[in-house]
Formats: sequence, structure tokens, C-alpha cells
Amino acid sequence: MWDLKEYRFAATAQQAVSLMRQGPGKGAFIAGGTDMFLYPAGCDFVVDINHAGISDIARTPGGDLFLGAATTLHNLAINPLVTGFAGGIISEAAAHCGNRPVRSTATVGGNLCNALPSADMAPVLLALDATCYIADEESQESLPLADFFVGPRVTVLEDRLLVGLALPADAGSRSCASYKLTRSAEDISLVQVAVALDIRDGRIETARIALGAVAPVPMRAVLAEAQLAGQTVAEINPDLIADAAVIAAGECEPRDDHRASAEYRRDMVRVLTRRQITRALFENNTRTETGGTVA
Amino acid sequence: MELNGRPQTCEIAPGANLLHVLRELRQFSVKLGCETGDCGSCTVLLDGEPVNSCVVAAARAHGHQVTTLEGLLDDPLMKDLQARMVAEAAIQCGYCSPGLMISLYAHIKAGGSADEAVLREALTGNLCRCTGYVKPLAAAAAVATERRGGTS
Repeated sequence: MWDLKEYRFAATAQQAVSLMRQGPGKGAFIAGGTDMFLYPAGCDFVVDINHAGISDIARTPGGDLFLGAATTLHNLAINPLVTGFAGGIISEAAAHCGNRPVRSTATVGGNLCNALPSADMAPVLLALDATCYIADEESQESLPLADFFVGPRVTVLEDRLLVGLALPADAGSRSCASYKLTRSAEDISLVQVAVALDIRDGRIETARIALGAVAPVPMRAVLAEAQLAGQTVAEINPDLIADAAVIAAGECEPRDDHRASAEYRRDMVRVLTRRQITRALFENNTRTETGGTVA
Repeated sequence: MELNGRPQTCEIAPGANLLHVLRELRQFSVKLGCETGDCGSCTVLLDGEPVNSCVVAAARAHGHQVTTLEGLLDDPLMKDLQARMVAEAAIQCGYCSPGLMISLYAHIKAGGSADEAVLREALTGNLCRCTGYVKPLAAAAAVATERRGGTS
């Protein structure tokens, strides 16, 4: 039994922040709660944000895709606005997160706010240049998702609330591929790689390579991205792709743990980055794959 | 909350999970297994979606619809599924069966495919330690195919 003193409901994001600051004691926001029930210690009260009006998925008139923080992973997996954006890569990443009943309640905001290095939703959202919207009692702030993570289990939020994410319209036509290396889809990932390429007139205008579970926080491999940006697809060759993958492997900072060694993780970043760049460039059906074996 | 179609009021501890509250309400089909959201023995429907009731706050159910196997005993689709499960002898110890039935019910009710890979995905949240997945999958495939007018 979770030794919780009070369960509060918030009707708006602003009210949620205000309820959080009322005390007494230590509080936490709760949405799906699938992770909080596993690590229940240290909270005097929780503030439920499921009715705070931040569960919607919308496409703005300008074409940006907005994902409410309390949107469930199952909704991300099946919503047509999401399956139709960037080849459906966000939906695929959501569908490879946890198991079916977990995805019914677990939310995209919860996945990011837990701020695990291996957060399943982080790499694809980083690769699509997601912006975070953060509510205070009176104001709202936005910042790039890349600046949201401070360290393992630490974000910039403090007692503020993540209300949603916006993906820029132009990211919707990026050519993407991602891979979650894990023993099984339900398990925590060993390595994640997401690649998103903005290809116009046969030229890579922008390249994004995002990595998960290989640094204290989900990260972008900016030096490897620079290797690809500006290249023409017709002239790109396997050596150049392999070079970018080696650069990405050099940029990550993996550590040893009981799931995998740092050395293995780094080498898998190299292999998987090379493969995902190749898939994003040359395969039409962009999709996330999950697998436990890499030959 | 609305439990199996009827209004239900109860007093709960702030940190109670839905699993324990449902068992106190004599919903004994809801089994306690891992209590970590892994095994699926406690699967119930929250607003029609399958959830692990062990990792859902009981307070979360306030104002929502909760459905347990007890509430589906007269449901035509659940009856079909039960009959097929019996015909396939798809039960060993039976502990995982209620959760497994709820997951398969939710999948078929939503018009889900009878394709084996898709059915297996629908069962990712249900562990059977007698390792008896083959027969439940066969039962579910038969019911799903019937529901979809003979196509998988």
C-alpha cells in the first residue's frame, strides 16, 4: 500500500501547479501512475492531472502537431494525426513502450518527466525537434525538449507542470527511422537510435540523430548530424554513413550496468545509427523496430 | 465510480490501488499477481480500455467506468469467448484467465484483427506461467474471425 496522505484532482494546469505548491509536505503530479506505483516512497500527496485539459492531440492551422502531456501512449499509437506525422514514427515508438494495458494509462508526459536516460519516447521526439510547454500558476514557458532533461530523473520542471509538446509542421514530412534495442519490447531499452532527415530536392537540409540510454539524459548526436547535413542523397555513400555512425558512437557517454556494458552500448550506437540513417534515406516505409539481436 | 454499469460509492485510502478496492468490492476475478504492472492478472477495463488495476490509483476511477469479468458474464461477446476457451481447453491453473479474457475481449470488441501476431501483441500484458498461450490464441482467433464476418 502506498502511504499517501492526500489525492488531489486538478481541473486546469494552473490549478495543478497551485495545488502542488499548497503543501504540506512533498507532492508529485500523477497521470497514468504506472511508474509511481512501482516507486511509491517519498510523497505526501499527489495531484491528478488527468482532468486538467492536457490530454488532447491536435494539428494547428499552421500544421504543427500538438501532443497534450497527459495523452496516453495507446492514443499516440492509434491517433490518425500522429500515425500520419513523420511516417508515423511517434506512434511506432509509443506502440513499442511497455505492454498493452500499461499503454492504456501511461502518458507521454509521464515518460518524459520521469526523465530516465532510457525514456522510450524521448529519442523520436528529440529527432523531430519537439518543443515543451511548461505551465506555472500565472504563466507558460516553452523550451526545446533537448533542454528539458537535466540529469537522470531530473528535469527543469521543479514544481511546474509539463502541459504538452509541439512538433513543427516541417518535421511532419521528415524521413525517419528508429530502433529500440532491448530484450523484449516491455523491457527497458539498452540503446535507442532515432534518425529524422529533412530531404528536399534530393538534398539533406537538416539531419537529426537522437540517442537514448547511452548518456545521463536522452541526447542528440550533433556532430554526426553535421556530417550528414547538406549532403545530396545521390552522392551519399556507405563510407559517409559509416563515418557519421562512428562519430555518433564517439559522442555518446554510456555506462556499464547489469543490462549491458558501456562498450557494447557504444558499439550498438555505431551499428544502429548506420542502419537507421540508411533506412531513413532509402526505405519508404519508415518505422520503428524493436529487436534483441543485432548481427 | 460506475462499476459494471452500476453506480458504486466507497471510501478509499488516498494511496490505494484499484486492484485492492475492487477485491474489497467482491470482484474476485481481479487477481493479485505481481503488483508491478507486469503480469496482467489484475486486468480490468477502465472506460473500455484494458489496464493493470494494480498500478492504477483507485482514486483515478472517480467518475469513470470500471468493468471486471463479473460485469461481462452476460455479454454476448464474452460468452462466445468463454465457450471457445472451454472448447479449446484453454485453461491450465486458471489464475491468469480472467485478465487474459479481459485483454482478448477488449481487443475483439474494438474490432481487432484475428491475425496471430496482432493477438499476441494484445496479450503482451498477460503472463501465463503454465505457458498456455497457444490455446487461448486459437480461441480468440476463432471468435475474432467470426466477429469480422469470416475474415482475419
